[in-house]
Amino acid sequence: MAEIAESPSTTEHPLGTVGASRSKASSSALRESDVDPKTMRTTTPGLKRLFLTFSVLLSFLLGFPFLWKTVEIYRSPLPFGDMDALSKQIESSPLQFPCHFQSVFMTKLTSQTLERQCGSCGENFTLSVVVDSDGNGLTPNCSYKCGALGALNLGDGEAVDEALRSALDESCSDYGGKLYTVVVVNGDGAGEGPKALVGKHRHGWISGRELDAEAMIGRMAEMFVKIFMNGGREDGAIHGEFMPVGADGRVVLSFSLLNANPDDWFYDWDFQKLDDTLLNPVIEALKPIANISVESQVLYHTPKSSFSYWDESLGSYIFSTKDLPFFVNSNEWHLDTSVAAGGRTKILQFVVYVPSANECPLSLQLPSGEISKTNGFISPMWGGVMVWNPQSCIKYSGSGPPARLLMHPDDLHRIFEVLMGQLRQLFGLKSDSIYVGAAGAYKLLPSEKGFTEWELDVLSRQHTCFNLHSSGTTLGSLSRLVQSLPRMIIKDEIGKQVKFSLEAAQLAQTNASVGLYEASAASSRQARSLAEDAFFHPSIMSVSYFSFEHCFAVYSPFFLPVSLHVLLAALREWRRYKQEKAKYVRWKVKQVKAA
Amino acid sequence: MRSKLPDAASSRKMAASSAVVAILASIWLCSSIAADASGSSSETTMHTNNWAVLVCTSRFWFNYRHMANTLSLYRTVKRLGIPDERIILMLADDMACNSRNKYPAQVFNNENHWLNLYGDNVEVDYRGYEVTVENFLRVLTGRHESAVPRSKRLLSDEGSHILLYMTGHGGDEFLKFQDSEELQSHDLADAVKQMKEKHRFKELLIMVDTCQAATLFNQLHSPGVLAIASSMKGENSYSHHLDSDVGVSVVDRFTFYTLAFFERLNMYDNASLSRLFNSYDPNLLMSNAYYRTDLYQPNLQEVPVTNFFGSVMETVHTDSAYRAFPQKNTPRETRIRTGNTAEDDSRRSILTDMTKAECPFTRIVSSLESKMETVGNLDSLVNYGLVMILPVLVVSVWLST
Repeated sequence: MAEIAESPSTTEHPLGTVGASRSKASSSALRESDVDPKTMRTTTPGLKRLFLTFSVLLSFLLGFPFLWKTVEIYRSPLPFGDMDALSKQIESSPLQFPCHFQSVFMTKLTSQTLERQCGSCGENFTLSVVVDSDGNGLTPNCSYKCGALGALNLGDGEAVDEALRSALDESCSDYGGKLYTVVVVNGDGAGEGPKALVGKHRHGWISGRELDAEAMIGRMAEMFVKIFMNGGREDGAIHGEFMPVGADGRVVLSFSLLNANPDDWFYDWDFQKLDDTLLNPVIEALKPIANISVESQVLYHTPKSSFSYWDESLGSYIFSTKDLPFFVNSNEWHLDTSVAAGGRTKILQFVVYVPSANECPLSLQLPSGEISKTNGFISPMWGGVMVWNPQSCIKYSGSGPPARLLMHPDDLHRIFEVLMGQLRQLFGLKSDSIYVGAAGAYKLLPSEKGFTEWELDVLSRQHTCFNLHSSGTTLGSLSRLVQSLPRMIIKDEIGKQVKFSLEAAQLAQTNASVGLYEASAASSRQARSLAEDAFFHPSIMSVSYFSFEHCFAVYSPFFLPVSLHVLLAALREWRRYKQEKAKYVRWKVKQVKAA
Repeated sequence: MRSKLPDAASSRKMAASSAVVAILASIWLCSSIAADASGSSSETTMHTNNWAVLVCTSRFWFNYRHMANTLSLYRTVKRLGIPDERIILMLADDMACNSRNKYPAQVFNNENHWLNLYGDNVEVDYRGYEVTVENFLRVLTGRHESAVPRSKRLLSDEGSHILLYMTGHGGDEFLKFQDSEELQSHDLADAVKQMKEKHRFKELLIMVDTCQAATLFNQLHSPGVLAIASSMKGENSYSHHLDSDVGVSVVDRFTFYTLAFFERLNMYDNASLSRLFNSYDPNLLMSNAYYRTDLYQPNLQEVPVTNFFGSVMETVHTDSAYRAFPQKNTPRETRIRTGNTAEDDSRRSILTDMTKAECPFTRIVSSLESKMETVGNLDSLVNYGLVMILPVLVVSVWLST
């Protein structure tokens, strides 16, 4: 405990200093009495000790921010504002698409309400409608040119469809080619009433004799709204259970041929050819909506788990619609053995069931009592089942195992038609080709791509809505989750996925506002898959991040005692300095008083 | 609609009527367009499938009864119709082949050994040391690594009803996993909340058979969750009986009475959940079974137990086939193939197709190779070649001088 004293004699011993001060006091002309060292001192207190302790304390304080930075949790900066804004925006204003409709009258309209009196309008009246809401009336550039359609043979629907397509399809680049047209033609069906057909592309036509104006406009409006806009369903929106696209935008169609009892007979099929010729166009057509891959298998010894009974009048074994939920025997049917499907892909099972000899032929009886024409049913989000009865139900009675029978292409064709109907049902459309609306019945022409162009438009629009809604809610949930766990590590990958998802959602909305249905479906699918990847990233696990208690428990055994000591030392030195300073001041005061 | 408007100025009535009709049509159009709302409404989702997650959280021989509990419930749920692909079974699975097991590869839940639970068709998804809190929470929330196979994932959607059954040792607001870690009630509640946010279930039934099981539900807040526990806070859940032959207790009381209820049902039954809950007798259980219904909307008396324990498949009949596809008419005969020759033919045909598409160089080389194979004695050909070199050498040397 060295001391900087003014007197030359410095000793280490306190008594020595006392002695020194005493000697100093005695040497200073004995003007004062003995200086009590507990209350007074003659020299200013030293600063060295104070300086040392405070410098240590200061270095700790200066180093603390660096320590804090090194134990900081790495969180990739997520754009919380944008995510919440997207989520709110999608929920508040439902996404709507621009649609363009066009009507072409190729016949004279009559009106029943017209009275044929002198001075009334004649039979050759025409009708014109112009849309001029809020001042900017639309004058379409690509409208129908009069005379482009010649005489039509209305008996052949396909030919009329093609003729209309070539006449109407010339360069409607204004609307991206998405113009829905209804043509009214003069038909020659005698007294049957007007017939309405919807083609494979984006137009339909109504034909008949002596067409009534009000009825025509009613049917046209119904064709526009219920068919072209709603896709042939009563309500507009498709429910979630008819959107079998997986969260990563992929679907796997798994086709299985099930031989219930191969000891009776067993069938094989040439699926490769079917895939190449018939299935590929369908998959191509569905490309904007889902990325589809196909696989097939043949299984043996797969009985069903429900029961059927022999009906003499119908001449076959019957199972009813009440047995359908129990038909799929999941214990014996090992359908989901796909390794092609990732974790978030949806698999749709299409099962063709060949019954055993003691249940052949097997038919489905509907509640109305009639036999089903297709012998098939679907389960939403799972797939479809179809029962195919072999041509002859004669049991194989030879020795040894029966030979493998290849299914005839005609049978395969018919099976494929039913499976395509089921695929359409799984996507929310109807499998038959008649739509009965309030104004009448409409025949819908089927397309060899499985879906007509206007149906694909409907699917694109609905899937865009659903995907955007889903990505909005997912991003909103993710932002709430991340903000509620402030000590969870957020990897860069998640930040990137969120950023790309937001960009894709923006692109989808832009495409939707312009009217590009397929592009908006594709980008909305990408937005959804990226948002799901970000939300389901395996690193977001609440048990894996370090809580604050953990951090505290790691660092406190060292830093707490050390900081305690340093602080105490600094305080003690400060207090000592203050005391010594007070002592010196007192002595000074006493000296001044004495002087 | 565009066409020429004639100068028919006389009959206002006709013009008025046609205009009215057109306006009506356009109004109908506009209102239909406006009513076309977005997205899907989740309140009216259909119940499409059932899932079961059965977890046994203990290991070691003296916890035999927990594994027997879980396997019994697995068997029940499968019998009532839920397939293996929709069951996630997590077991430590160290009973059947334990060296202390007097009946190897057999697990019983009854001292009379009526039923071997480990008999056939048991598919365990997470076994041994894979049964951890982290894996359990990953199964519930769906956050797996990308390499995890589909059979180990809970692939439920917004129409699924999930049965979650857990058994083992537990306490006040926790459940012990494999004697080394614990699942806390707030972890479980958090996982359920995240599942609800992502619409991973429509309804969830949690059954827990441990001591003080009701405390595990204290922090649950998500709607659509029904919870039933074997005992309340401060109470223990007891085992039912001891099998003196095997040497350990083989089943717990709560699970025993649950199974007794289900043994009387088959998959066509519609006994209600309230009957199940009312079948628990506190005197027989030696604890108070507690169930929590405040988060669950439907009336328990109308909900059949097969909503959770059985199989549901919503089915829709296919009305007609989609006849769009052009058909080639081939003569009707069935080709009969025996054995595997057909595959060999197709395989060989693929190979021959490939050879046609080769480049000329490989064709030359392969033709050379085939010629070489036809030569009988290759060595003599080589010798001839060597011998032929000599005169060629002599000729060239003579030419160069």
